[in-house]
Amino acid sequence: MDDLNFRRTIYADPTNQDADTVAAQQVDPSKKQFAQEISKLDERIRQALNVPVPDDLCNKLILRQTLASHQVHKRKTRVHLALAASVAMVGGLMLNFLQFSSVYSNLGDYALAHVYHEQGSVTNNASSQVTLTSLNKKMAAFDGNFSESLGKLLFADYCRFDGMKSLHLVYQGKNSPVTVFIVPKNQQLSFSHTFNDKQYFGRSIEYNHSNIIVVADKNESLGQWQQNISETVFWSI
Amino acid sequence: MMTKQVRYEALVKALHGDLYRYAYWLTHEKQVAEDLVQETFLRAWRALDSLKDEKAAKSWLITILRRENARRFERKRLGMSEYEEATITDTRSVTTEQELENHWLREKISQLPPEYSEPLVLQVLGGFSGEDIASMLDLNKNTVMTRLFRARNQLKEALEAEPVKRGIYNG
Repeated sequence: MDDLNFRRTIYADPTNQDADTVAAQQVDPSKKQFAQEISKLDERIRQALNVPVPDDLCNKLILRQTLASHQVHKRKTRVHLALAASVAMVGGLMLNFLQFSSVYSNLGDYALAHVYHEQGSVTNNASSQVTLTSLNKKMAAFDGNFSESLGKLLFADYCRFDGMKSLHLVYQGKNSPVTVFIVPKNQQLSFSHTFNDKQYFGRSIEYNHSNIIVVADKNESLGQWQQNISETVFWSI
Repeated sequence: MMTKQVRYEALVKALHGDLYRYAYWLTHEKQVAEDLVQETFLRAWRALDSLKDEKAAKSWLITILRRENARRFERKRLGMSEYEEATITDTRSVTTEQELENHWLREKISQLPPEYSEPLVLQVLGGFSGEDIASMLDLNKNTVMTRLFRARNQLKEALEAEPVKRGIYNG
């Protein structure tokens, strides 16, 4: 290794431990001396650059990071809380919707479903009878009353079918009971004047605040029932 | 979360000294150097997951610090050329002969063209190899080696030109 090359190598990197650099130093004492000089220079440079580091810098760095990440953490918890609240609210609304919204789209479907639901609980020849007075007490909830009895009233009570409070009346019919529903007007159910299925048919009368639905088997004259109802029912508002 | 914290603290403890010294050499001011190191470590914390190889941690941090320093100049629009580095006096009380000597040598390093002094400081202070420095400064290795050679050469000449005794002598 020639002198210039050696000097360049040592100047560029005094700690160079390549085989030929080390060998060149062993062969030539002047090269070895040069390498030592430069090492000494490097040591001086290192000392010069080795300024004292502030004692508390390390702690400051850790503290600052802890504070910064704490804030991030806090922000994150807030986001999580907001997210949880939103999910809970949506869940609540869904539950509300499922529980209180009608699965039937019109009054007829609703009435038929109601009849089938309670079919068999009252027979046509049941001995029980409900008086007009007690019927009118129940009708008060719908702001209405009947002036006369429509027939033999077997059963009269409120029931909450599919989330809707209605007055459920069962009269004795020719072959099977005739069911009359008094239901409050409901935005979700579309009004249907007449409806039927294989067994029953029904008609609805629309009043200001309520609808009255008659459902009976096909032997009954619904027109007659409807007429009787509209002649005897009175609404106080 | 905890392991990240532990990693970070280990990094701070092991490397804050070297980073501060490098920052001090870049800025010549204690307070600015400290701020720079704080910014660097804060950024490092945010990006800590991207540090895969712990051996590369130092050069990674130095790269962040250099970027932060450049950003500082963008903000302040304060060029290094606006003041003479050599005239910046060290505010520390220069008492001992050794410190006087260190101070003088620091000035000499500052007087070197920055493209020479920068690799030198990285090599001596950071203990980086020629390849490391080349990748940090975006140069090829031969250029780095040439600059290191010139830097030491000029420093040596400056030292030889200087009388053995320096300082103020009264009487």
